[in-house]
Amino acid sequence: MSENVVEVKNLIKTYEKGKVKALDGISFNIKEGEFVSIIGPSGSGKSTLLHMLGALDIPDSGTIKVGGIDLEKNKKLNEFRAEKVGFIFQLHNLIPNLSVVENIEIPMYTRKLSSKEQREKALSLLKDVGLEDKAKMKPNQLSGGERQRIAIARSLANDPSIVLADEPTGSLDSKTSSKILEKLNSLNKEKNVTIIIVTHDMNVAKLADRVIEVLDGKLLENNDDSLMDNEIKV
Amino acid sequence: MSFLKLILKNPFRSKSRAILAIIGIGIGIATIVALGAMTAGMVASVDDTLHAGGSDFTVAGNPNNTDTEMSQNQWASFGATPLNESWVGKIENVTGVKSAVGLYNTMAQPKGVNGYMVVIGLDPSNAQFADLTITNGTMYKLNSSEMIMGKLSAQELNKTVGDNISLKGKTYHIVGTFETGDSNQDNGVYTSIKTAQDMDDAQGNVSMIYVKVDKGADVDQVTKRIDNQYKDNVTTITSVSDISSMQSVIDMLNSASWAISLLAIVIGGLGIINTMLMSVMERTREIGVLKAVGWSRKKILTMIMGESLVITVVSAIIGSILGVIAVELITMAGVMNGLSPAFTPTIFIEAFAVAIIVGLLGGIYPAIKATKLQPTEALRYE
Repeated sequence: MSENVVEVKNLIKTYEKGKVKALDGISFNIKEGEFVSIIGPSGSGKSTLLHMLGALDIPDSGTIKVGGIDLEKNKKLNEFRAEKVGFIFQLHNLIPNLSVVENIEIPMYTRKLSSKEQREKALSLLKDVGLEDKAKMKPNQLSGGERQRIAIARSLANDPSIVLADEPTGSLDSKTSSKILEKLNSLNKEKNVTIIIVTHDMNVAKLADRVIEVLDGKLLENNDDSLMDNEIKV
Repeated sequence: MSFLKLILKNPFRSKSRAILAIIGIGIGIATIVALGAMTAGMVASVDDTLHAGGSDFTVAGNPNNTDTEMSQNQWASFGATPLNESWVGKIENVTGVKSAVGLYNTMAQPKGVNGYMVVIGLDPSNAQFADLTITNGTMYKLNSSEMIMGKLSAQELNKTVGDNISLKGKTYHIVGTFETGDSNQDNGVYTSIKTAQDMDDAQGNVSMIYVKVDKGADVDQVTKRIDNQYKDNVTTITSVSDISSMQSVIDMLNSASWAISLLAIVIGGLGIINTMLMSVMERTREIGVLKAVGWSRKKILTMIMGESLVITVVSAIIGSILGVIAVELITMAGVMNGLSPAFTPTIFIEAFAVAIIVGLLGGIYPAIKATKLQPTEALRYE
């Protein structure tokens, strides 16, 4: 049986001096190699939750353990982000003046790799997403789907065990979306990478092994007894 | 691609902004280089004259014994106070002195010409002190109205051997042309000491005395001996700084150079803060991504500071080249009155030091601002 790779307990996050409750006592676990989607309407707190799992934000209270690391106690969150997680955003967020292959190398600057090793790794990731012929191109020379595939390659640069994707298909047409999801799915199945995807698109959510639904900062149909294997039918 | 290459590449993402910043800082650097070269050239020229012909030091009159207003004679001798010819013999008799030679300098305006030229009176038998090479013609005869003319003044006045020149109402005959390599001397004429004294009705006066010490004698000890023995009447000059009037001119130029450096630091610093702040603001989302992929604050700080330094170091290179070109153009235009600029390593070290200070001071605030960006807010930035 797989271990829990994410353990979240009673997570609370407020903004504007407590007036806005983004997360209101959320608890759940995710097992290693799971493909989980977090769904909910805009402003429900799903992106806040994803940012906390990636240590981009800190909760007011509650605990988050990712890959066995207690994020509250860990002082070197940047190292955690570099080694454990890979991010994919709704907008690809590629650096415009760098070539495709250079963009993939960006996360590798946190590791002690030679320029040659970096380049080899980046090219191999580029091959994995089927864009090896676009290595020297600038992001603005690519289509939206191609850019997002580059963003996937970049998220895998440091071999993370978890990929956090925030609306990765949000700005893509349905055909391109399914290609991206296919890629994420194969990553999950073939390389056992845990995928946590935030979306408000039910069709995207359905592809996941499990769906966590967030509404007004709370887990919907949250049941204390079923916390460990929370499953919500969509 | 290495991290260093990224730092080198980033500042030129917005080319026009980078170029504007480089021009701003570059002008400051060019001014520092140009002023520095002129000051160094002036010091080198005076120093060359003070140590002409391998003399170890120079003796001049005590500045306290003279009027504050400088005579033409003093202008020609960098402000050194003239003294009586009898001092040549007295100095020569001081223990450790091998030889002492008096010379009389003055300024004269050739007829029909705007500028002044230096007239150096030195007897032909002591010509070795002048360290000159006669390029054409012969040496002047003692106490005659003959002169030899420096290469630069000959070019400027279009004179050659056999021509006459009218100075202070008298006509002199040019018997030769010479070159010393020192712009001050090459821009003047040499003649017998008496001929030069007669121009000013200053018979019996010398502007300064060139002194050579005995082989093995300590220059410092000999100068101290002269200073102790004759301090009420004469002063010894071993370097430019010993001539107070000259030193004050150099001090003034140095102060101007430092003031411009300071101005360059302030203006350049503000310019680079503005450039880098705009760059950080435009790249807020990107900085959020860098944080998301695990870049440390230190790495982001290094990147922004590095980018700031790239701009200022490029400015230093371009500014230095512009400074050299500007000085050369000014020299070619002839408005420097024959003064040759000197490009010493110190000038460029100072220029680059200013650029690096500007880069560090200007980059630090935007860099800190970048490291303090909250990743979640940065990623939401539109």
